[in-house]
Amino acid sequence: MRFKFVKEAATVVAIAASIPVFATAAVAAGSHGGGAEIGTPGAVSETTRTIEVKMYDNFYEPETIDIREGETIRFVIKNEGELVHEFNIGTATGHAAHQEEMMMMVEHGVLEADRINWNAAKKMQASMGHGAHDDPNSTLLEPGQSGEVVWTFPEHATLEFACNVPGHYDAGMMGEINLTH
Amino acid sequence: MKSLMSPRAKLLGAALAFALSAAAPAWAETYNLTVDRIEIDTGDFTKTGIGFNGASPGPVLRFKEGEDVTIKVKNNLPEATSIHWHGLILPYQQDGVPMISYDGIAPGETFTYKFPIVQNGTYWFHSHSGFQEPDGAYGSIIIDAKGREPYRYDREYVIQLTDAHPHSGDRIMRNLKMMPDYYNRKQRTLFDFLDDAQDKGLDAALADRRAWGEMRMMPTDIEDLQGFTALMNGKGPDQNWTGLFKPGERVRLRFINSSAMTYFDVRIPGLKMTVVQADGNNVQPVTVDEFRIAVAETYDVIVRPKEDKAFTVFAESMGRTAFARGTLAPREGMVADVPALRNDPLLTMADMGMAHEGMDHSGMSGAEHSMPNGKTMSGAMKHGDMAGGHSMEKGMSMEGMDHSAHGGMKMEQADPFYAPGSGLAPAAANGGKFLSYADLKAQKPRYEDREATREIELRLTGNMERYIWSIDGIKYADADPIRLQFGERVRFKFINETMMSHPMHLHGMWSIIDNGNGARDPIKHVVSVAPGTTVYMETEVDAEGQWAFHCHLSYHADSGMFRKVVVEGGPGDKQAALTPESGK
Repeated sequence: MRFKFVKEAATVVAIAASIPVFATAAVAAGSHGGGAEIGTPGAVSETTRTIEVKMYDNFYEPETIDIREGETIRFVIKNEGELVHEFNIGTATGHAAHQEEMMMMVEHGVLEADRINWNAAKKMQASMGHGAHDDPNSTLLEPGQSGEVVWTFPEHATLEFACNVPGHYDAGMMGEINLTH
Repeated sequence: MKSLMSPRAKLLGAALAFALSAAAPAWAETYNLTVDRIEIDTGDFTKTGIGFNGASPGPVLRFKEGEDVTIKVKNNLPEATSIHWHGLILPYQQDGVPMISYDGIAPGETFTYKFPIVQNGTYWFHSHSGFQEPDGAYGSIIIDAKGREPYRYDREYVIQLTDAHPHSGDRIMRNLKMMPDYYNRKQRTLFDFLDDAQDKGLDAALADRRAWGEMRMMPTDIEDLQGFTALMNGKGPDQNWTGLFKPGERVRLRFINSSAMTYFDVRIPGLKMTVVQADGNNVQPVTVDEFRIAVAETYDVIVRPKEDKAFTVFAESMGRTAFARGTLAPREGMVADVPALRNDPLLTMADMGMAHEGMDHSGMSGAEHSMPNGKTMSGAMKHGDMAGGHSMEKGMSMEGMDHSAHGGMKMEQADPFYAPGSGLAPAAANGGKFLSYADLKAQKPRYEDREATREIELRLTGNMERYIWSIDGIKYADADPIRLQFGERVRFKFINETMMSHPMHLHGMWSIIDNGNGARDPIKHVVSVAPGTTVYMETEVDAEGQWAFHCHLSYHADSGMFRKVVVEGGPGDKQAALTPESGK
């Protein structure tokens, strides 16, 4: 049995906002949400272009992305697969750390194969300080859902976009972000 | 969806050249195979065995999903032969089992197989006549997918394991019938008993010995057959099969266990493996440090070696008597450390279907406990309700748990496919994650999830004294076929009343293991049932004809752990009747 939502991106954001957020790490350094080394959340008004990303089981289209340093990009992501997938911008090290967090989400019943259990997410957020998965550098989507990430890229960084659902990165669901001058 | 083609195809071509032992791959739509007597050299011994196209293992047959294949098989042996395409869905007359699918292939004769390829993934093929497969008659099959696979890799290798023995299969069967522990080198000695007495106390050691003695079994009986040399792609450990990689590449390793009798625990020290396929069916990727591959199973993993160094591919036999070894390296000639064999596991009473913690054995002799069918086993007890096989709760839900008191959380969970307290339950050598059947979830279900229409119970049984292995206490020659109706969904309940693991293989139809994942239960063709456990699997009966169904341990299948499955009521039944059975 599967829930098949077709939610607007705005609705996704609204749900994320309605979950009590104990971690305000929107612009904090580290794997949650940003830091100069991976870039910063961007303003929609400053975007230079829009890039569409499609998520399938278990891979992205396109497989790599070319971006100029300092650009602000609006990513429109659609999950065309049958499983839950993530689109996350960060370094390989950051992704590895995030994979452990996602594993905990699976263990807490938040992340099922083909849906996200928002009730379990609320409980996990309340007891552990994370689990709601509402960082600005990523979006976690159920099958059929769409999401957006608006991001301003830094200079000189080795970045990847990746899905950190357990096993997906290792199976190849990641791609290089080629930053050029 | 786009599919990756040219750059990969070149790499695959080069990779396959390394993956093959001798013969060239068959790329054409008509494939030609010969079955020949060959010399086998394991590095430890040589013997005359059987090969395909002059080699063992035989070639890697590469098919395309959606094509129709024609395979011509010429028998150059002085005896009849056959080839069964393990894991392939095809018309029953093409399945290659003598007396069930066809009459076999006579000496000098050429048989032409023709069937459509309706699946993709890693499979294998082998003789289904006598003990030709243990004597070397096995090869591999790679079927390329029509669409895009749910994982990426830059090159691939087949890693096919076997347990080559200096004795011929016929000789081994004769010896086992004469003396079932003929090949069991690890008899427990007086010194082992004295060690036990020191560890557990004299009473407990004596009671343990008596309990095992009354059952006429040795606690070392994990492997019936010891004294073999484990081969990886036809090479012994010293011959060191090597696969090359460029650091940073993703490499797909297609593991196939083509042994007669041996389960292997596989690891690559220094590299994690991401399991993406089991028995030819894609699973949701799960990253592990080690996995156990039962006889006749396949597992496809993706590894990503980033360092410019060699890695040892290590396959340790489950009874820890031997290992297969190969190397993944950036250049030829590089080797990595080869681990030592770990200590051999000992079966416990739990593996006999009993949990005996704290029980007084001294008063237990005699027919105190009766089995469900009225038989009694002296000294033995069978609990009707065995953990290890019942439908489980979906995943591990931790909602509502109080987290205030803990730092990091590590989910240690005993493998539910082994009896609680089992001596056989595996653990990763590096303390990391060991794959369990519980971790397998279908990437894409093949069938609608529905309730089974009926349940069939099959007790896996054996009389170790006479080396007779059977189902429900009845060996194949004395058994009626299992009759299934086309269109039903049968739930098979395997109850293992023996102390060995049995890899149960149903031909022609898929085995969907119930591991609590509902619609995403994994789809396999071999279901391994550990001692003292009950395992459920379901089959959508959608292939008419008659099919073999047996334990894939070669000497068990031959001694009676085998059944014919007849599927009735299919579309073909309206036409000419099936060939009348000739004595089974």
